[in-house]
Amino acid sequence: MLELQPMLSALWRNKVPALLISLQLALTLAIISNIVIIIQERIEKIGRPTGIAVEEIIAINVMAIPQDYDMIGAISADMDLLRKLPLVKDATVTNQVPLSQSGSAGTFYTQPNQKVGGENSNRYNTDPNFINTLGLKLVAGRNFTNTEMQYYDPSEIRDVNVAVITQQFAENIYPGQDPIGKPLYDGDSHPIEIIGVVERHLGAWVDWSKAGNVAFFPIARNTQDINYLVRAEPGKRDEVLKTLVEKLSERDPQRVIKTRILSEYVARSYAGDNLMVKVLSIVAATLSFIVALGIVGLTIFWINQRAKQIGVKRALGATRSNISRYFLVENSLIAVTGIALGSAAALIVNQYMVRDYSQPVLTLVPLSICALLVLVVSLTAALAPALRAANISPATATRSV
Amino acid sequence: MLKMHNVRKSFRTDTIETHALRDFSLEVKEGEFVSVTGPSGSGKTTFLNIAGLLETPTGGQYLLDSEDVSNLNDRQRSRLRNEKIGFIFQGFNLIPDLNLFDNIDVPLRYRGFNAKERRKRIEKVLEQVGLSARAKHLPAQLSGGQQQRVAIARALAGEPRFLLADEPTGNLDSLMARQVMELLEFINEWGTTIVMVTHDPELARRAHRNIQIVDGQVCDLRTLTEQPEAATA
Ligand SMILES: Nc1ncnc2c1ncn2[C@@H]1O[C@H](COP(=O)(O)OP(=O)(O)O)[C@@H](O)[C@H]1O
Ligand SMILES: [Mg+2]
Repeated sequence: MLELQPMLSALWRNKVPALLISLQLALTLAIISNIVIIIQERIEKIGRPTGIAVEEIIAINVMAIPQDYDMIGAISADMDLLRKLPLVKDATVTNQVPLSQSGSAGTFYTQPNQKVGGENSNRYNTDPNFINTLGLKLVAGRNFTNTEMQYYDPSEIRDVNVAVITQQFAENIYPGQDPIGKPLYDGDSHPIEIIGVVERHLGAWVDWSKAGNVAFFPIARNTQDINYLVRAEPGKRDEVLKTLVEKLSERDPQRVIKTRILSEYVARSYAGDNLMVKVLSIVAATLSFIVALGIVGLTIFWINQRAKQIGVKRALGATRSNISRYFLVENSLIAVTGIALGSAAALIVNQYMVRDYSQPVLTLVPLSICALLVLVVSLTAALAPALRAANISPATATRSV
Repeated sequence: MLKMHNVRKSFRTDTIETHALRDFSLEVKEGEFVSVTGPSGSGKTTFLNIAGLLETPTGGQYLLDSEDVSNLNDRQRSRLRNEKIGFIFQGFNLIPDLNLFDNIDVPLRYRGFNAKERRKRIEKVLEQVGLSARAKHLPAQLSGGQQQRVAIARALAGEPRFLLADEPTGNLDSLMARQVMELLEFINEWGTTIVMVTHDPELARRAHRNIQIVDGQVCDLRTLTEQPEAATA
């Protein structure tokens, strides 16, 4: 038995506090649902597959001290050394460390001398071992060969002939076509042949809208500093890390060598997102807690105020559960009103968030989940006072005046 | 109808134990109109509360309609209150947020009657207490006498066999008190057993029988119709 009609009459006569709680719930829902989609977006961003065996990779930065250092020679010797180390799966040379927020990019075209309508992509200069070292998956075509490697001075300008690109980049620049054998142009008339496609590589910048567009070229240039990537056997990364600097310095002491595990770069790249998730979660939790306190307070206040009529209702035949249920149903009515108002407010707020701050669009599913959450918070808050109300003695009807 | 044997009720607070009723024995027959008088604090309300299943006795035996009601659970007691017993309080105890119609509806909803049945009963009792035209009014819009008539209507709507009234005229002036008393007498004539606590000796005398409670015990039993002169408390 729900007593809905008299409950609504009674609520109508106490509409101000009821409405205040409704509005508080509405505001909470409007804020939380918009927070939740931002959190959701960040978590999805952080959780995106990188395509890279992040946990097994160590990045090494080698900086030559002498001005006229032969980096090309050093690379071959270092690669020989690294690849032979125990517990090392493979090693590669690269101009930039992936997922490190530093990298380079270029615009590529499908036609010679094309200047507009290109597709942006990260670009890495690396060697044929990059696929195995990064743990990438070749899904079409082939890898570079050692004979395709070009080693040269930065002052030289040489044309590169082949590239391996990511599937995403392939789909963007040659949508619906088989990219193997197709040319890439970087604004001049020289074609770079796409010889292979790797499934995924997130590139340099996790925040970039084109993250995942990546092209790899078989190039190593004679620069003052260079990066190596070393992939350890699973679970052996830290063990390998311990001796790397020592081994490389032993081979040639004329360099400054720094190592850092790739997962640390990734953590730094996502530090802002992680912080955002944390702060917004705390805000959402605090808000829910405050609104719950408000509901506890109001319910207790109402029950105290109505102690006499609760006693009278008990005297007239209400069971304990009739009394508890009354307050829980009343609370649900208030909450449902708040949720209705809050859903509307959430969608309106979201329109501005989308338009002015390019936040994600609030869809029905997260909104419904948040609405349910608000309902649960509200009912949970009302539960204890409502159960306590059931303990008011029917004798209250005759005892108090 | 009601039979109490050696009923005891004590209230324990941190410091003292109050014996509100001690070895309280009383029988009320079907159809009787019993008035209860006694000094303040003597245990009259406690007796009514136990009789009406609002409180449980600390000891002794209470038979309502020959059924021992000492060991019923809350649900059973609520049901008995709802079906067999009507309450009238000194302070009327109407629910201020509900209009008269909805106030009378309260016990009927707990009874589980359908809307049609409830409406029929509410209209009937409002008519009986002469307030049909006021069904949509709030209690605050009525005089004390009118409020008490609504409270009586609420108590009657479930057609209880047993009506308990705790100083029903205590907050009313004498004219209104007399109207309420006439209403109760009328109800009693139609077969409802009534136990009424009152401070008004005149009203007490109009009952079939008056019992005096002093210090938690029935002090004196006399049938007013037989010895009307001696009834003044
Ligand atoms: N809830 C309670 N706690 C403690 N003492 C109570 C309580 N209710 C009643 N009493 C005490 O029990 C005694 C009888 O009270 P009551 O039945 O209300 O008397 P009456 O109705 O005759 O004035 C009084 O002494 C009163 O103080
Ligand atoms: Mg009393």
